[in-house]
Amino acid sequence: MEIEKLKEQIIDALNLEDLTPADIEDDAPLFGEGLGLDSIDALELIVLMEKFYGIKLQNPAEGKNIFKSVNCMAAYIEANRTK
Amino acid sequence: MSKRLVITGAGVVSAIGVGKEQNLRALQTMQGGVALVSYLATEHTECRVGEVKLTNGEMMQMLGIAEDTPMVRTSLLGMLALREAVAEAGLSSEDIAESAFINGTTVGGMDMSEQFYLDFISETGAEGAPVHYIKTHDCGSSTDLIADYAGHFAMTTSISTACSSAANAFVLGARMIESGEFDRVVVGGSECLSKFHLNGFNTLMILDQEPCRPLDATRAGLNLGEGAAFLVLESEEAASRRGARVIGVLEGFGNACDAFHQTASSADGEGAFLAMSQALARAGVRPSDVDYVNCHGTGTPNNDPSEIAAMRRVFGNALPPFSSTKGFTGHTTSASGSIEAVFCLLALSHQFLPVSLNWSQPIEPDLIPVTQQTSVPARPIRRILCNAFGFGGNDTSLLFSKS
Amino acid sequence: MYVQAANQISIQNPLSEEWIDAPLTCSDSYCRAQDPDFKPYVSPIEGRRMGKVLKRALAVSLKTLRDTGIEHPDAIITGTGLGSVESTEAFLLDMCKNGEQLLKPTHFMQSTHNTIGSLVAIQTKTHGYNSTYSHKQISFESALYDAFVQLRAGEIGNALVEGHDGTTPSYFRMLELIGYVGNEGQVACSEASMATLISSTPSDSDLCQLKAVKLMHRPSIDDWKNAIARLDLPSDTVVFTGENGHAANDRLYSDVLTALLPDVPTVRYKQWFGECYSASALGFYAAAHLLKAGKLPGNASAALLLTMDLDGDAALTLLAR
Repeated sequence: MEIEKLKEQIIDALNLEDLTPADIEDDAPLFGEGLGLDSIDALELIVLMEKFYGIKLQNPAEGKNIFKSVNCMAAYIEANRTK
Repeated sequence: MSKRLVITGAGVVSAIGVGKEQNLRALQTMQGGVALVSYLATEHTECRVGEVKLTNGEMMQMLGIAEDTPMVRTSLLGMLALREAVAEAGLSSEDIAESAFINGTTVGGMDMSEQFYLDFISETGAEGAPVHYIKTHDCGSSTDLIADYAGHFAMTTSISTACSSAANAFVLGARMIESGEFDRVVVGGSECLSKFHLNGFNTLMILDQEPCRPLDATRAGLNLGEGAAFLVLESEEAASRRGARVIGVLEGFGNACDAFHQTASSADGEGAFLAMSQALARAGVRPSDVDYVNCHGTGTPNNDPSEIAAMRRVFGNALPPFSSTKGFTGHTTSASGSIEAVFCLLALSHQFLPVSLNWSQPIEPDLIPVTQQTSVPARPIRRILCNAFGFGGNDTSLLFSKS
Repeated sequence: MYVQAANQISIQNPLSEEWIDAPLTCSDSYCRAQDPDFKPYVSPIEGRRMGKVLKRALAVSLKTLRDTGIEHPDAIITGTGLGSVESTEAFLLDMCKNGEQLLKPTHFMQSTHNTIGSLVAIQTKTHGYNSTYSHKQISFESALYDAFVQLRAGEIGNALVEGHDGTTPSYFRMLELIGYVGNEGQVACSEASMATLISSTPSDSDLCQLKAVKLMHRPSIDDWKNAIARLDLPSDTVVFTGENGHAANDRLYSDVLTALLPDVPTVRYKQWFGECYSASALGFYAAAHLLKAGKLPGNASAALLLTMDLDGDAALTLLAR
């Protein structure tokens, strides 16, 4: 799984216009302290996973663990992707 | 309040019936109206919703409107409810001409816009498209269609604060009467289901595919609903001048902003706490004077604990009986504040407490809503607090008492 | 009641009163607003999800609060005909074109009309009264009316009252299809964001006083006559009209003016700001600033703002020095 590409998808989905993939650290938390994302961003990331990787998350609460960091998200996608 | 504000007429349309009679019977016999979607043409056929079981054509027939008249569903639902309210209050055309009309809606004419939007914006021109639905798209147009069906109101306006819209219509209407602007204001809300907001709530992942379970530990989201309700609010003096029968009293109201998040409520329910506290303070009554709380109680994981936290702050540990009627009707969004206000008036005049349908497990051991219909309530029901909370933390609470 | 401050974003230079002496002109039938630098009002991370209408609303609101030194107004009351129309359209277009899957929650969340007023409350942590009106051309006056009723009753001491509407290219085309805009000789279809702080106590820098607000539905000439008679208009009043070059719209105004205010000077504020659902918020703003600057025709001491729409909703607002 290509981390750079995922970062670009995140930047696009969350409208983080002023950021480049290099600004997002692979292991830094996406929520809270890190990029300061919130629950609506988590919902956008769920849409992202379905759109590009065919992963349908039923329970938004699961996002909490999956979206801990870009690495975490990439690992989850690798293990569960259907496309 | 400086002037006593009385209610002299009410009309309601919801998934559990057209008119107060049908709604009352369904509430008392615990017959819910939520079912798999069948009227709204959506891909989400798995969705359970509280639809009004009438097509637009059937409603137009009931209302005596020619079938080729351009109409939006929000307005048709509203007309049915307004007609009943005006009839019960016995308003003449002269009475209406000196009354104001305030409608709460957010969906407005979106049901038609979403059917024809691609035609409207087509590069090749909108030839043949029913462009008159562009005129009926916005909230104000839906309101005026409803108002003009009943007569010639002196003033109309629309409130759009999402799920608290109709409740906020009471707040403005009450202040207009108290300040002497009008003797009589017809207030309420109307909202049809649309693919737009069904999908919107779906993207927020707060729709439950099962029947919703408000105030239950296993709740997993809401079911959307549709409907309308209007109430005739008058100064007591004006009502008695024309010999109108009083069916309820608006004793207090409060509106406050949670100022926390656009779609989530704060954990301590600050906005809800302020709104309920203001309603009680305005009426000059103590928390222990409240005999029942009709909760906003949507059944989302986020709303219910926040509302309960706010109720604990208002009432301490001695919560009055409480329940949510959204298991009956689904969440009727902008109209919920007035539909549930009508339910509260029915509860007051018929002395029963509406139940929370589908409830089985408490969120906390002592948090048990009304679930059984008893023939005689444990204590007389004299005063009811009715909550309606909207996106953006727009929280409104209304306090009703018996006539 | 005192209008302590008022700020705009429109087709004129934003957050400025330069238009009084050097108005920009727009000869197209459709003009977007001139956006200011949003950085002083919205951080990039906060603004990442906001559409234009939301950013503009924050800018005019926060500037108005800073102008008056008020941190938490007692009430935030908003008027908007369409809400954040660009978000509504983004969601609608996606749904109509691609079906009911993979839609964006952000667009839906922002489409709700009261997202605007809630955003201002969330950003300023204001728990006070909050409401939003959406009633076509008199959306702003509906909000103003709510504030007026509460201020007069002493329920609140001040209110931030707003009017916001954006117009997307596709919405412009839709309005053109029904003949509301884009007609020969008509002002541009435009955008408007305006916030004003109205207080029951005077300050040194007040723009003017708010004397009256009234909303009417399908008023007859007699209704207008009664409403105007109750205002006790100063003899040097100027009328601000919503005339925009659209024949049927302008006839509404000329009927009232000819019958009831035949010799009163008029100002057509839409020549500066164009036409949209919240245009009258800019009429209010313009009247307030021109009163303060002493630049009304004949240095008039009062401005009567008339708003009417083709569906019969109407409002009148009286401002005075």
